[in-house]
Amino acid sequence: MLIEVQDITKTYIMGDSEVHALRGVSLGVEHGEYVAVMGPSGSGKSTLMHLIGCLDRPSTGHYTLDGTPVEDLDDVALSALRNRKISFVFQSFNLISQLSVAENVEVPLIYRGTPREEREQLAAQKLASVGLAHRRNHRPNELSGGECQRVAIARALVSDPDIVLADEPTGNLDTKTGEEVMAILAELNDSGTTIVMVTHDIVKAKHAKRLVQMSDGKIDRQLVGEEKDRIINQFEAMTAVPAA
Amino acid sequence: MQQSEHLRIGVRSILAHKLRSLLTTLGIIFGVAAVVSMLSIADGARREAVEQIRLLGTNNIRINHVELTGDLKELADAKGSSGLTHSDGSVLMRNLPNLTGVAPLRFVDEPVLFGNREATGRVVGTTADYSRVTDFKAARGRFISPLDVREGKRVAVIGAAAKAELFGYRNPIGRKIRIGDAWFTVVGLMESKTIREARASVIQLRDINTDIYTPITAVNSRFPAPDRKGGVSEIAVQVSDANQVETTSGIVKRILTRAHNGIEDFEIVVPAELLAQAQSTQRVFNVVMGAIAGISLLVGGIGIMNIMLTTVTERTKEIGVRRALGATEDSIMRQFLVETVLISVAGGLAGIVVGAVMARAINVFAGWETVISMYSATIAFGISGLVGVLFGLYPARRAAQMDPITALRFE
Ligand SMILES: Nc1ncnc2c1ncn2[C@@H]1O[C@H](COP(=O)(O)OP(=O)(O)O)[C@@H](O)[C@H]1O
Ligand SMILES: [Mg+2]
Repeated sequence: MLIEVQDITKTYIMGDSEVHALRGVSLGVEHGEYVAVMGPSGSGKSTLMHLIGCLDRPSTGHYTLDGTPVEDLDDVALSALRNRKISFVFQSFNLISQLSVAENVEVPLIYRGTPREEREQLAAQKLASVGLAHRRNHRPNELSGGECQRVAIARALVSDPDIVLADEPTGNLDTKTGEEVMAILAELNDSGTTIVMVTHDIVKAKHAKRLVQMSDGKIDRQLVGEEKDRIINQFEAMTAVPAA
Repeated sequence: MQQSEHLRIGVRSILAHKLRSLLTTLGIIFGVAAVVSMLSIADGARREAVEQIRLLGTNNIRINHVELTGDLKELADAKGSSGLTHSDGSVLMRNLPNLTGVAPLRFVDEPVLFGNREATGRVVGTTADYSRVTDFKAARGRFISPLDVREGKRVAVIGAAAKAELFGYRNPIGRKIRIGDAWFTVVGLMESKTIREARASVIQLRDINTDIYTPITAVNSRFPAPDRKGGVSEIAVQVSDANQVETTSGIVKRILTRAHNGIEDFEIVVPAELLAQAQSTQRVFNVVMGAIAGISLLVGGIGIMNIMLTTVTERTKEIGVRRALGATEDSIMRQFLVETVLISVAGGLAGIVVGAVMARAINVFAGWETVISMYSATIAFGISGLVGVLFGLYPARRAAQMDPITALRFE
């Protein structure tokens, strides 16, 4: 098991009120899986992603990443995990505006201590693989949303991670560019990378092998195989009628 | 590895806000400039003092005649003290076995002529010891000998500048010059001594290259002092061991006070102490400049801290992203610390330039000797770096301790 989340809760203290973002979530993800997480806004999807991504620590419960209990790790060890094992793709791209496209892609390698030449080479390679080699020296604000997200994906891939965590990666994109991004992720999964993706669009979950439905800080149900496909097809049919 | 990246990012971030960075560093610039100019003045004063010490001799004690006035003068007359005299020197020599030379100096205001050429320097009556005590030798011919002094011979040894005035390129040795209404034979020519112009000094340095030395006995007999018997303006005393200079100066004072019947019509200057005196005269200035420097650096530091806190807030999102991509707290901390140090060191470098210009201006307009040394530039540079680290620490910690999630959610 690559990701093993056991009965995790996460409570935020806001002033004198408590926000229970997660209320006991257990989830296991195998190597090479593609899991889509769905659920209404505020149901705790992002919080779960942050915990899986070692950006945050659970209030209670256990999280084991590739056999390592994460609770005991210090900042340096957690940072190393984020740097080597895990990559994030965010809804809002989160490129660093002061850096060029190529430099943005290089950032994870800097924290790994990769020599400059190798960094530049790897970054150029990943940019080419998302079809943006010609944009290398541009600034993020000179790119379209779809291009930005492809840069972000190149940045996620440059560190050759085990897991890609994508939190609504198409949320800020139009349908067509969204589909391009989904295709890249699917291709990535085919080559063996584990993907956990949050999406509010059930159709986008088509590529995923498992569908996790959350609400109110809990996992309601998990769908796999035919059951998953049936639900998706149903939904597609439902939305297709008014459009036709 | 990461450090060079931090540098690159830092430089870029500073260049992205040129005006802001410049305004931020003004405090540092002026603080460092104050430090640099202050040190340059202190160094200048030290160099001047060292120069004087070199000219006067580290093993030496100078006894200067003090002109008394009013009641003190009457008292001195009543007690029969006649100021410094030639015999004071002999008294000291007899009583202090650790003296290696005593040279009284009597300046005589008489015209010096060779044909129709006149020397501008002073006639100095002294003894044979003068050459040794002041480490000032005859380049040609010889200096005054003990025999000259004993017999009051009318011989003269002239300085290099005096020679040029009187003789041009001719050989002066053996020629007769007229001092007042008496003829003196030139027996020697002094070596030429380079003297840097000294200002604000405790001892008035004259250009000794224009001096004309004669046996003190000869001038005493030809040109008796009008109102006081001795007429000696200075006595240069050489002590055998530099470590004994201070204690010896105390004994000299006691002996002379007794010889002058309790009248202190002289002052004792120990060249080795000139350095301390020069520094003490600079103290007020140092305090003022130090305060200006301190306040500027403090204000500059706070300014930098303020701007860095703004930068950290502006770049909250970036911090979150970097953390998500694997930056440790430490690495974020260093990134912002490097940037702060970069700003303040850039200010420091500018400050060194401004300080050097200020030092030059002080030299030109106030006439103070100033020296910009590598050492003071290094100190100033170090101070600016230190300010950067000190005032960068807090913003950098703020950045490092930011919660990655909160930072990522920041809009
Ligand atoms: N850093 C935080 N501080 C306080 N409350 C938070 C924080 N992050 C998330 N929350 C709250 O936790 C709940 C779950 O949020 P989130 O995981 O972002 O939901 P989702 O991604 O499913 O929309 C929400 O009510 C949100 O307001
Ligand atoms: Mg969310």
